[in-house]
Amino acid sequence: MNLRENWRIVMLVVFVLASTFALFGPAGAPDAGANNSSSYGAATGPTNLQFGLELAGGSRIRAPLVGTTAEDLDIEQGQRSSIRQTVGDRLNVSAGDVSVVLNADDGDSVEVLVENVSEQQFRAALTEAGLDGEAATIRGGVTAQTRQQTVETITAKINRGGLSGGQVATQRSATGENYVVIDVPNANTTEVLNLIGDEGEVSIVATVPVEADNGTVYRNQTVLTNRQLEDSQIGIAQTNDAGQPYVPITLTEDAARNYSQDLVDLGFTSSEATGPQSCRYRQSPEDPGYCLYTTVDGEIVYAAGLDPGLAEDIESGEFETAPSFIMQTRSIDEAQRLQVNLRAGALPTRLAVEDGTVLFLQQSLGDRFKWQALLTGLIAWLAVSGSVFLRYKNPRVALPMLATAAAEVYLLLGFAAAIGLPLNLSYIAGFIAVIGTGVDDLLIIADEILNEGEIATGRVFQSRFRKAFWVIGAAAVTTIIAMSPLAFLSLGDLQGFAIVTIVGVLIGVLVTRPAYGDVLRNLMLSEEQRD
Amino acid sequence: MVEFVVPEPDYDRYSNRQLAAVPLAVLALALLVLAGWTLMTGTPVTPGIEFTGGTEIQVATDASQSEVRQSLDFEIDSVQPIAGSNEYIVTTQATDSDAISSAARSAGYEIVSVQSRSASFGADAQRLALIGIGVAFVGMSLLIFALFRTFVPSIAVVASAFSDIVIPLALMNVFGIKLSLGSVAALLMLIGYSVDSDILLNNHILRRRGSFYESTYRAMQTGVTMTVTSISAMTVMWIVSSLFGIPLLPDLAIVLVFGLVADLMNTYMLNLSLLRWYKYEGVAR
Repeated sequence: MNLRENWRIVMLVVFVLASTFALFGPAGAPDAGANNSSSYGAATGPTNLQFGLELAGGSRIRAPLVGTTAEDLDIEQGQRSSIRQTVGDRLNVSAGDVSVVLNADDGDSVEVLVENVSEQQFRAALTEAGLDGEAATIRGGVTAQTRQQTVETITAKINRGGLSGGQVATQRSATGENYVVIDVPNANTTEVLNLIGDEGEVSIVATVPVEADNGTVYRNQTVLTNRQLEDSQIGIAQTNDAGQPYVPITLTEDAARNYSQDLVDLGFTSSEATGPQSCRYRQSPEDPGYCLYTTVDGEIVYAAGLDPGLAEDIESGEFETAPSFIMQTRSIDEAQRLQVNLRAGALPTRLAVEDGTVLFLQQSLGDRFKWQALLTGLIAWLAVSGSVFLRYKNPRVALPMLATAAAEVYLLLGFAAAIGLPLNLSYIAGFIAVIGTGVDDLLIIADEILNEGEIATGRVFQSRFRKAFWVIGAAAVTTIIAMSPLAFLSLGDLQGFAIVTIVGVLIGVLVTRPAYGDVLRNLMLSEEQRD
Repeated sequence: MVEFVVPEPDYDRYSNRQLAAVPLAVLALALLVLAGWTLMTGTPVTPGIEFTGGTEIQVATDASQSEVRQSLDFEIDSVQPIAGSNEYIVTTQATDSDAISSAARSAGYEIVSVQSRSASFGADAQRLALIGIGVAFVGMSLLIFALFRTFVPSIAVVASAFSDIVIPLALMNVFGIKLSLGSVAALLMLIGYSVDSDILLNNHILRRRGSFYESTYRAMQTGVTMTVTSISAMTVMWIVSSLFGIPLLPDLAIVLVFGLVADLMNTYMLNLSLLRWYKYEGVAR
C-alpha cells in the first residue's frame, strides 16, 4: 500500500492510536477539575473517561445569589463605612448586609445582600449617603467579587466537611443571570445544603504578655466578635503594588470604637507591641508576644502583630472615622484562606435555592445509566448496520462503512478522555447523533462512487469523491450552525450534547470520512487503475 | 431475507400541484393543531417541567403504582414505572425538593434520584430554547441561500425543513409528549438531518448531468437509505431507552423519528415538486 497516496487512512490510524492512548494510556487525562465545573477530577474504571454527575451520582445545586447591586458609582476609599451605615439604616438592614466594592468592572458598586430591595428606596439611600443615586445602574444580583467570595467560602466549607471532590463555580446564563453551581459527588442534596448552611464561630482574639510572679503569662481577650465580623466587610484577598498579599477589612463604627478601645487598653498601641517582632507566633507559639489571632471555632488560623501606622491611627482616633485596615499575609493562598476563614461563619449572601435547580442521583443509578446508555448506543449502531447491509449486501462496502462510523465514536471518546470532558447522558445522545450523521455521510460517499457505473481511473474516483464531499461539507456546516446556539446558550445539559455533535461532525469531515473514501478506492480499484 | 430497495416512484403520473398538495395539507393540519393548542392551553406545545419548573423524583419501593400515587401527599402529575426494576419516576409541579424528598422518605421509599427546577429557571430555559431554535433555523436558511444562490431551490429546502419541525411539534401534542430538553435537542438536530437529504436532492438535480428523473432516483437511493437508517437507529433508541427509564434519550429519539418520517414526505414530495416546477417551468419562463 502506498502510504503517500493513502495518507488519509494513515491519519485515521494515527488518530485511532492517539485515542487509544488518551483512553487507556497511563498519562491519564489532565486535571479537568481546574476548568470544568462538573467533572470529578480523577477518572475511575478501566478508561481515562470522566463521568459527570448524571453518570457518576451525586448532587448538583445551581442557584442565584440574593442581592441588589448599584453600579457606575464614584466612591472614595474613606467613604466606605459611612456609606454602609447610611444605606443600611435607610433600607432598614444591618450594615453587614451592605457591601461597597471599589474598582469593579462597572465603576464602584454598592450591593445590598438581602431580598426585596426596592429600586427607588435604594436610589434614595445612595443619594443620602452622598452618592449620585439617580445616575447609578441598579440591577438584581450581586457583584462578581461577592460571587467569587461565595464560591471560595462554599468550597472551603465543602472541603472542611469531608465531602471530597466537590466543585463550586459560577455560571452565567445567556440571559445574563448569574448562578453558583455546586457539584458534590456521592452526597445527597440535604447533606450539601446543611453543610453550606453551617456556621463556624469566627473571632479575633488579642493576646498580651503579662508579668506575673512566676514569669510571663498570656492573657487573651476577644476584640472582635463573630457578630461584629459578620457586620463588617471582609474584602477580597488581593495583592498590593509592592506584591504584598492582604485581605482588606472595614469595620462598622460601633465595632471600630470597641476594637480600638480594647487595643489601647491592652497596650497594643505601645511601642513595645508594634515593633516588627511584636508577634512571634510563627516562631514560638508558646511565647508569641503581642498577637492578634483569627480563630475559627476557637482554633487559631492566623496570627499577626499590629502595624505601627495603624497603631498611631488608633491612638489618634483617626481609625474610628475610617475603620479600614488590612491583614497582611505571606502568600496569596494564605490571604485567600484567611478571607474564607474570616467569613467562615456565613456566606456573603443567601443562595436562593428555591430559584434554582437541584439534582441528586444515587451512584448506583449513575452506574446503571452508564451501561444502559452504552447498550443503547450499541443497539442503535446495530440497527444502522442492519439497514446498511440490507441496502448494499456487499460486505466490502458495508464493513468499512460501519467500522468507520465506529471509529468516529472512538475518536470522540478519545477526545473526551484527552480533554477531561465529564460525560453525561446528553453526551451519549450526542454520540448517537454522530453515528447517525456519520453514516449518512458515508452513504453519500459510497453511493456517489459506486452508483455511476465503472470507475475507470483514479482521476474519476477523485472527481466523484470531491462531488460527494460538496454535499457532505454543506450538510456538516448546516449541522454545526444548527447546534451552535445550544453550544453557546447555557441550556443546562444540552450544551454538552451540542459540543459533542459539533466536534463529532468536525472529526468526521476532517478525518474519518476522507479516510473511508481512500478505503473504498483501495477496495474498488485495482493496482493499475489507481495510478 | 428482507430486501432494502428504494422504490422508484412514477413521478410522471402526478402533477406538481398534486405532489405538493399532500405535504402542504399535512403541514396545514399540523399548524392547525398547534394553533388550536395555543388557543386552548396558551402555548403551542405543552412544556415539561424543565420549562415550567417542577420536580421529578425516582423512588425504589415494592409498592404498586397506585399505592405510590396515594402515599405521597403532594400534587402528582404522573407515576411511571421503570421496566425491569422496582422503581417509579414521580413528577410533580411542586418545586420544594426538600419537602418532596422527605415526603418520599417518610412513605418508606428509597430515593434514587431527585431533579427539581424552579419556575423562574424554567421560564429562562423556555426563552433560551426558543431563541436557540430561531437562531439555528435562520442560520440554516442563510447558509442554504448562500449555497444555492437561487430562490426556488433554496426556499424548497427551507420550507421542507420548516415543515419537518412543525409536524413533529404537532405530533407531540397528539401523542401527549411534553416539550423537554431532549425534544428541543431533537428539533435542532432535525434542522441538520432534514437539510442533508434536501441538499443531496437539490445538488443532484441542479448540478449533475442526466435527466431529471434519473438524477432524482439517484438522490433518492442515497437519501432514502440515509433517512431510513436514521429512523431505524432512533426507533431502537426510543424503545431501549424508554424501557430502561433513561432520561433525555427517549424524548430525543421519538421526536427525531417523527421528524425523519415527515422529512421523507417533505423531501420527495414538496421539495421535489418545487424543484421540478423550477426546472421545467421556472427557468424556462
